[in-house]
Amino acid sequence: MRASTSSRHILRSAKNIRTLHTTVQRQTSLASSSSSSTVNPDEIAHFSRLSAQWWDERGEFGMLHKMNPVRTQFVREKLVEMEYEDGHEDLNEAKVLEGLKVLDVGCGGGLFSESLTRLGANTLGIDASASNIAIASLHASNDPALSFTSSSLPQRFGSSVSHKGKGKLTYEHTSVEDLLAREGPNSFDVVCSMEVVEHVDNPRAFLTSCAEILKPGGHLFLSTIARTPLAYFLTIFSAEQLLRFVTPGTHTWSKYINPSELTSFFHNLHSSSSLSSPSSGEIEVKGQTMDIEVG
Amino acid sequence: MLSTSNSRTALRQLQRSRCLLKRLVHNSIVPEHCDVLVVGGGPAGLAFAAALGSSHRVQESLRVVLVEASDLSKVKQWSLPEGYSNRVSSITNASRGFLRDIGAWSHVEESRTRPVEEMQVWDGISDARVAFSASELLSSQPISELSRLTENLNLQRALLHRIACLPSIEIMDKVKVQSIVQDNQDGSDWPLVHLSDGRVIRTRLLVGADGPNSPVRSYAGIKSYGWAYDTHAIVGTLYHTPRGPYSPPNTTAYQRFLPTGPIAFLPLSETASSMVWSTKPSLAAALKAVESSVLVAMINAAFRLPEVSIRYLHSRILEAQESGSPLTLDELREELAFREQSHSIDSHSAFSSLMSSEEASGIPPEGADSLPPPITSIQPGTIASFPLRLSHAESYVGEGKGARTVLVGDAAHTIHPLAGQGLNLGLADAEALAECIDQAVAGGLDIGSHTALLSYPRNRYFENHKMLSAVDKLHKLYSTTAEPVVWARSVGLEVVNELDTVKTALMMSAGSHRTNVSQTGWELAARGVGSISQNLHSARMLGEGVAGMVGASVQQLFKQATTPRQ
Repeated sequence: MRASTSSRHILRSAKNIRTLHTTVQRQTSLASSSSSSTVNPDEIAHFSRLSAQWWDERGEFGMLHKMNPVRTQFVREKLVEMEYEDGHEDLNEAKVLEGLKVLDVGCGGGLFSESLTRLGANTLGIDASASNIAIASLHASNDPALSFTSSSLPQRFGSSVSHKGKGKLTYEHTSVEDLLAREGPNSFDVVCSMEVVEHVDNPRAFLTSCAEILKPGGHLFLSTIARTPLAYFLTIFSAEQLLRFVTPGTHTWSKYINPSELTSFFHNLHSSSSLSSPSSGEIEVKGQTMDIEVG
Repeated sequence: MLSTSNSRTALRQLQRSRCLLKRLVHNSIVPEHCDVLVVGGGPAGLAFAAALGSSHRVQESLRVVLVEASDLSKVKQWSLPEGYSNRVSSITNASRGFLRDIGAWSHVEESRTRPVEEMQVWDGISDARVAFSASELLSSQPISELSRLTENLNLQRALLHRIACLPSIEIMDKVKVQSIVQDNQDGSDWPLVHLSDGRVIRTRLLVGADGPNSPVRSYAGIKSYGWAYDTHAIVGTLYHTPRGPYSPPNTTAYQRFLPTGPIAFLPLSETASSMVWSTKPSLAAALKAVESSVLVAMINAAFRLPEVSIRYLHSRILEAQESGSPLTLDELREELAFREQSHSIDSHSAFSSLMSSEEASGIPPEGADSLPPPITSIQPGTIASFPLRLSHAESYVGEGKGARTVLVGDAAHTIHPLAGQGLNLGLADAEALAECIDQAVAGGLDIGSHTALLSYPRNRYFENHKMLSAVDKLHKLYSTTAEPVVWARSVGLEVVNELDTVKTALMMSAGSHRTNVSQTGWELAARGVGSISQNLHSARMLGEGVAGMVGASVQQLFKQATTPRQ
């Protein structure tokens, strides 16, 4: 099957958040926070109901499985690009994620978190749905090659398995706001939030928290669905109503965010200097559109 | 009533689960972990393991284990005996390129391989013939050979030596797979493979390179469709006199399509060649039972005598076999002499099967180049036979209860040997799957997941299907016995054209470039069939005079096909 999806946009900003990539595409994942403002309780309930299906590659989240390699490749390519721009000529491109502290906000069943970990990142996946975290933890615990630690699940495999250069993986049922409150700002090298921002209640507060928890010079990757007629047609009309690939109610048209809105948000964020660290450079926001092919 | 039956069921379930628990406690073996478990140490399985091990990314991140029931150390220490093994394969240039890329070809004992520089294929009934040679291959780089005949043992040995240099590949031989079950604990879908030495391996991906009756395929629940050809292939190593100073060296492969099946002569050295003779099972059994010298004469006759007489000889062999007194050499020579006389074949001509070895070493008679050299003897112990069938798995990647499985080589498909493509398809599978896994590792994917494996069947399924069905159709086409005489000519004509289609396709797959070229070849071959049938239609109406036109159009097509692109 070939379905072209809506456009993706990448923004890059520089200041204490040096780069920001926003991608705009279809499909879903989950927002953050149980206690603070941005988590939408209805959305959480919706995804908790679907949580058992996260790892069914032919099921509800099949499209997300197909998109996952594209997202991983995108993150890697951008990181490599930035490293070269910073003058790291002797870079080992395959190991660009190795040793980095990465936060995956709204990790869902852990599709993306697992991939990041395999590429060497020390990944923390957080989600506002406890059942998503349970599913993600269970799935990771079955894979002895992922150096996965969980407080609630017993260790399935002994230490006999070698983790050849893999990062560590941890999951936590929390929101980005709570995590920020606990860990403080400037905590992560890379923050990713894939297909999440269209599910949160207060995207402004959500994005500010994501930006603040990022280390100076870190990278923020966002992907979401643009509010375009094509996106409506593909993600809501076709996928939910017509073909029922996706449970109706997964997407809300009015919550979709356009690339320009995200770009200007981060420009404004800079000028209002709401970020905690003092700024040393100017914000640089780069947009990029990409069509992805799912087959 | 209802409640008692319910409680009884519950009790039974409880007992069953207790039993299971006891068993689990009893063999409380902690499973070993591996990322890729290859079942089967044949050429496809070994080539796949070597290809995986040659990737740096895989070396750094995956544990690869290959299990094989037989003793591979014997293959590895294969002492290159004087005689030749009876299992020989035609390695195409594309396959050889792959083997070179993964560092295996340099371990092949090249002196025991033989380039095929020319192929001669002809129809057993009409004698319509096509010959094609490597020099006709117009490629950007000069290609000196169409394929390379290599003993399977030589290839396996080379692959084992290559794997020995790859620390990330572990080989467990003399170990059988006893059972495969799914590890259902905590929603996991990983296969648990129980081995005959008591070990249990929990694997991320299970690769079935375990042959036509693949246990991995049964575990995966993948159905295989196909049919048995009513045909057995007899293989053997043949000895003959060297080609004389006036003849080209023994680098030509010959194949004659008899209605009972094709017989092929594949050169291995100046004085030794390999045979693959596909024929009816009863006849194969009878031919295997006769004295070696009788079989020699039968093989020579099979390449030479008109089809009517071959049919007669076959019935004689079968009759004698049934009566319990197998045909003797004298009886056969008498029959041959009579038959040749009635066909007015001179006993000194190249088409006589009665030629003595002294005569064969002299100045070759006219037409000798269009036939294999006369066989003088058969290497003892090399005659064997096996049934032929076409089969193709419905999919190459398992799902659901058979998740995390993938098939390569004969486990995925079996093919009639007439085009010598079986092993080459397996090697192409190995290459594609290794490439797919390498890419999946680069993308941080779980290489056992369906998503990660998607590109493998996408690259191979249709390619294999095209080859399987083309070869199947050729087999069926040539199995047709005498049509009504009035149609004989047009049938003959059709056969010529079909042969040209085979030629185009075979020559394209002989190219040194991979994937693209072979695709183009088959497309052109398909287009060839289309235009031929059109031409054939008009040829039937206009009669013999048009035959030349058809031939010309085929030739033109062939030229198009071999002209280097851009």
